[in-house]
Amino acid sequence: MPVTGVYFIPSHPNASTALSTLTERLRSSFTDEDFIPLGRWALDHKLMRDTPGLLPASANPGQRPSKPRYMQLLSLTHYPSHGFIYTSEPTEKPFHPPSAASSAPSATPANGAVSPGQGGPAPAPTAAASHTSATSQGGASAAETQMLMTTVPPSSYKTLFQHFTYACQPFWCHRLTVTVPNGVVYDIGDFRVRLGDVRQTWPTARVRGTIVEIEWRGPSVVDSLAAASQARRSGSADDVDSGVDLSFSVLEEADIDAEYEATASLIREFWARLGVQGAREAILVPGIGKEIKEKLGRVRGAGRDVGGRSLKDEATLAGLGGVPFEDDIDPAAGTDVARQYMEVLRFNR
Amino acid sequence: MHELLLFASVPVHQHHELLQQLAGLTAMQPRHAIERRLIFKAYRKPGLITGRVGGSQDLQQSGDLQRVNKMLNGSMFYTQVVGPVSEKELGPASTSMSTSVPAPDPDTPMAGTDESKPPAPVPNAAVPDGEASAYDYEQQPWRLEFRDIPEAATRSAITTRVMASAALPRGDIVPSMNAWGYGFVTEYLVEGDIFIHNDIVIFLHRVLHYPSSDNEPREPRRNLTALKDMEPLEKTGSYVLQASITVQDGTNQETMKTASQHLFGLREQLKSAVRLEQADRLSLDTRAK
Repeated sequence: MPVTGVYFIPSHPNASTALSTLTERLRSSFTDEDFIPLGRWALDHKLMRDTPGLLPASANPGQRPSKPRYMQLLSLTHYPSHGFIYTSEPTEKPFHPPSAASSAPSATPANGAVSPGQGGPAPAPTAAASHTSATSQGGASAAETQMLMTTVPPSSYKTLFQHFTYACQPFWCHRLTVTVPNGVVYDIGDFRVRLGDVRQTWPTARVRGTIVEIEWRGPSVVDSLAAASQARRSGSADDVDSGVDLSFSVLEEADIDAEYEATASLIREFWARLGVQGAREAILVPGIGKEIKEKLGRVRGAGRDVGGRSLKDEATLAGLGGVPFEDDIDPAAGTDVARQYMEVLRFNR
Repeated sequence: MHELLLFASVPVHQHHELLQQLAGLTAMQPRHAIERRLIFKAYRKPGLITGRVGGSQDLQQSGDLQRVNKMLNGSMFYTQVVGPVSEKELGPASTSMSTSVPAPDPDTPMAGTDESKPPAPVPNAAVPDGEASAYDYEQQPWRLEFRDIPEAATRSAITTRVMASAALPRGDIVPSMNAWGYGFVTEYLVEGDIFIHNDIVIFLHRVLHYPSSDNEPREPRRNLTALKDMEPLEKTGSYVLQASITVQDGTNQETMKTASQHLFGLREQLKSAVRLEQADRLSLDTRAK
């Protein structure tokens, strides 16, 4: 998972966007050898908001205006294996939250394994693996991010959106759909840049602005770490209980933060060269790097394959007339950049 | 998507015979299926004023506000999250298939099917506390199965309802469901056999409850109970025969009509064995009050 930054330059409905200016400046700032057009990309983003929050404050006497809750659905062509759903954490959990029922055998180690800087030698490998699904829960993660990332298979992306608009009207209201229909990808030196005009398609068609994703493709601890964890995962399970892994992981987690900081400054430097004003930046957004750190936690509980069941088994089990279960090899891929996109696309509406 | 359905009740003494009849009709061996079904309920913040405020001022409400109010008073639903499990995952080594059924039913064809399955990999090393169960909750695949209340006032003698089915990520699905506005209520198990007959899915199944305990868990179980310890919802152990057709575009009258005709065709074919009929609409009401 590469480190990225996303910039959004808003524009007025009928004015021209910053896209041509940006392309021009990119061309003039870099030599032709460094500037390689790669192809196209596209984005689809749906913003939903909690319906009760849409009532004007006056219509709700005696009630404190609550913080708006959002649900954002994002699909990116460069991560075709899944769609992203980013939802505000519920302000109050229905019934009993999982943390309350910590009597369940694996609940306690699960919380321990994800809290940064602690977590034993992972007595329960399943606990750490609970986050393969890119969902998060309780513990430290809830404190630092108020939103919860879920990745779903592409086929579910549309179905779930339709479900929310059909069956969840009292609590979710579709506010906006924006798309980037015709983005362009360039390789520029150590960076990969994705540019495109953001068009709002619902409720009314208009132009919202221009979006730029800058991806660092140089050497990166984050990337090599992902590779290392892959190697470990396929390796033996002997070291599961060894204390060495603990120190290893703590060190790496600090490294990850430093890595994000360092790369962010590289991306900012790159952006500054273009000299475009009035952009909104999303690099070190809340929750960034969470999946990478979880991946790291999983390394300690290594020795088990991600695919606990064989695909064949899955096919036999796929139930009554339902869709077959799709297997996403890396459900966490692209969650960082998805967070960044959603940060700038969470228009106040 | 729409779903068209017919149901029949199958007493336990007829189960074995019907399995064979269905196998003959569909020219296929039954596909045994066990599914965990988690029930989630849409929840609304308690204390929220959803009714109209200041009735006399209704006329002054802007169109937008009216729309929001209408949405706030829209229906909310129960929905299911369904995950397939295998017999082997259902608790400590129940090797003998026939013991899994509490009712006096030998179930021989199912045992045959079970043996023909490829042996599932048993990641014993991955089990945290050394229990015999090979079930791994963190790898459990799920899908969201939404069913609306069956459509009212259809002249046809078939249950028709809006449905949605979407694959979800593996593992603990509760945090995501909570964030999306659903709270976990309870869960049960469905056990049965699936046949495919042209475009009709035939599911001969029954609902099994977990053995009752004093403290009902407030979250999905991490470990499953052996099938033979499960208690059928219907005490006599009888089965439900469900014949269904899924139609992608429910607004297309032509395809809906064709689907109905296919179901009626099956009803005729099975007439001598079971009586397929539509279900009572309100008994399939999924709305949350």
